[in-house]
Amino acid sequence: MKLLEIEDLKLEYKVYEGQLKVLQGINLALEKGEKIGIVGESACGKTSTVKAALRLLASNATVTGGRVTYQGNDMLSMPHDKLVKLRRTSMAMIFQDPSAALNPVFTIRQQMFDMIKYSTEGNLSTKEIEAKATGYLLEAALPEPQRILGSYPFQLSGGMKQRVNIAMALISSNDLLVADEPGTSLDVTIEDQIMKTLKRIVDEKGISVILISHALGTVKNFVDRVYVMYAGTIVEEGPTSRVFASPKHPYTKMLIDSVPKLTGEGIPEGILGQVPSYLNPPIGCRFITRCPFKIKVCEGDMPPLYTVEEGHSSACYLHEDKQ
Amino acid sequence: MSDAILSVENLRRYFTSPEGVIKAVDDVSFQVKKGEVLGLVGESGSGKTTIGNVIMGIYPPTDGTITFNGEVLRETSKKRSKETIRQIQMVFQNPASSLNPKRTVRQALETPLKVHAKDVDVGKRVDELLEMVDLPSEFSERYPDELGGGETQLVVIARALATNPSFMVLDEPTSALDVSIQAKIINVLMRLRTKFGLSYLFITHNLSLMRNVSDRVIIMYLGKAREVAPTVEFFRNPMHPYTKMLLSSIPVITEAEEKLKPEKVSSTGEIAGALNLPAGCSFHPRCPFVMDICKKEVPPLLEVAPEHLCDCYLYLENRFGQSARIGS
Repeated sequence: MKLLEIEDLKLEYKVYEGQLKVLQGINLALEKGEKIGIVGESACGKTSTVKAALRLLASNATVTGGRVTYQGNDMLSMPHDKLVKLRRTSMAMIFQDPSAALNPVFTIRQQMFDMIKYSTEGNLSTKEIEAKATGYLLEAALPEPQRILGSYPFQLSGGMKQRVNIAMALISSNDLLVADEPGTSLDVTIEDQIMKTLKRIVDEKGISVILISHALGTVKNFVDRVYVMYAGTIVEEGPTSRVFASPKHPYTKMLIDSVPKLTGEGIPEGILGQVPSYLNPPIGCRFITRCPFKIKVCEGDMPPLYTVEEGHSSACYLHEDKQ
Repeated sequence: MSDAILSVENLRRYFTSPEGVIKAVDDVSFQVKKGEVLGLVGESGSGKTTIGNVIMGIYPPTDGTITFNGEVLRETSKKRSKETIRQIQMVFQNPASSLNPKRTVRQALETPLKVHAKDVDVGKRVDELLEMVDLPSEFSERYPDELGGGETQLVVIARALATNPSFMVLDEPTSALDVSIQAKIINVLMRLRTKFGLSYLFITHNLSLMRNVSDRVIIMYLGKAREVAPTVEFFRNPMHPYTKMLLSSIPVITEAEEKLKPEKVSSTGEIAGALNLPAGCSFHPRCPFVMDICKKEVPPLLEVAPEHLCDCYLYLENRFGQSARIGS
């Protein structure tokens, strides 16, 4: 059964210069217990997609089309009290900057207690809450949970703060955990530990995960299926191993080639140019401004997703004659 | 060695804070040879940026000397000669904050020319500089907010080139950029290096990038150099347990890369706080091979294989030949 399904989602932001047409028909599905990844450069709409799905959008954003279904319910028209209940019991999000996600003037104990209290509808005694909080911290591989609970965020290192965020996310993420660049602001050895902890926990509990990252290697080691986003569109999707071993869309190929390799094959070419402005995005394929393989038809309509092999599809007209 | 353009000896830089002394850089010595790209790699707090800043004379060292082209550098840039300042330039991590938002690209590029270049057609030289970094000349009238992140960094590189330097400190020049753009910046930097015979001190936390750009690598951890080796040798035979931990932590894409990662050293523990460094080897609380001596004595950085230095007691027993500090 599908836990989350996004169909033809369109999203715009209103800014001083006009309307930013960011998401242009996003289709994404997440099965129960599945781990998916969304990769792409910065400003490609990765975070906007999940924020729209979880109804966490900024006030200048408007969903102009599409549907989001979560556990069979329509997320976009859900009444507020029902949404709050879902957020308290079913889903959670981990953000990129662990310091910004914690309140600096409350101890970890105060912050965790509030969350546990509301997620259990106030049915637990203080002692039970304390036991639960300790349990979550231990699960996130934090030693000395008593000391952590008594600490303010500034007394903890970046890695520990992110572990606290994971522990807090566990309180309410019984079904879905969205991790938005969870290791990006951390050092590589700490990121490695955090990702391993996270993977162990979600696998044990069978939580579905959406991992957002621009670090391709991190995503490759974590998720079952991957979506590649470019300029507000999904250009390729498929099983992680297939997409990385044999990318089909020119953007995915070029993105993977851009990453310097440990094997030392020299400096890759990169992708010339930059993500187009969302004020006046190209009408056809949005990658057209940077694509070395562009043909006449790319300027017309946005390319549909072509299935290139089972479960693996790519939105590029180059696949048309092979259908 | 006479072929060194820059030589750093026993460099220390301590910072005092209300809580105590932070040894940001603690007795580091190395040389950058002419035309070489020396990679300085480490996690946050390892002191790599501090080394770059001390070389630039942004603040003075607590102890130690820096020799540039055979001449001992004065402590801060204010005391240095105009010629020395001209020769050593720097590119910072965040391109957006490196340019004045109220001045056009042309104005940004003209300033170093007016200070350092004599008898130069400034307008023509600005166009030349933009061409060197593959930017069209129309860009000269733009303001920084009209440029993309990669373009901004190219302008910063052009500005650093304006004085015809012979040595550049590149402090994480691509960390704030997407990988697709990183490649472009690195390619421009490497082409300029060949064209003008530049030497770089390339500071980064990205080992994969380092593998592809540098000739030699220094691995820093908590203010000390832990391992120094030519890049190829370094990746073929990483020695220090910290280096192995770092290598095994890198998320990679291909199977070939996966095979290069050392096994068995998985990442544990946290980087110690700079105020309370562990006694002995400051890596010992995280080290899976820790011995008694590591908790008491600070290991010296010694040559354990040809041109390969490492400060770990695991290798000191059977090191080859005579011990030697870097540069001596």
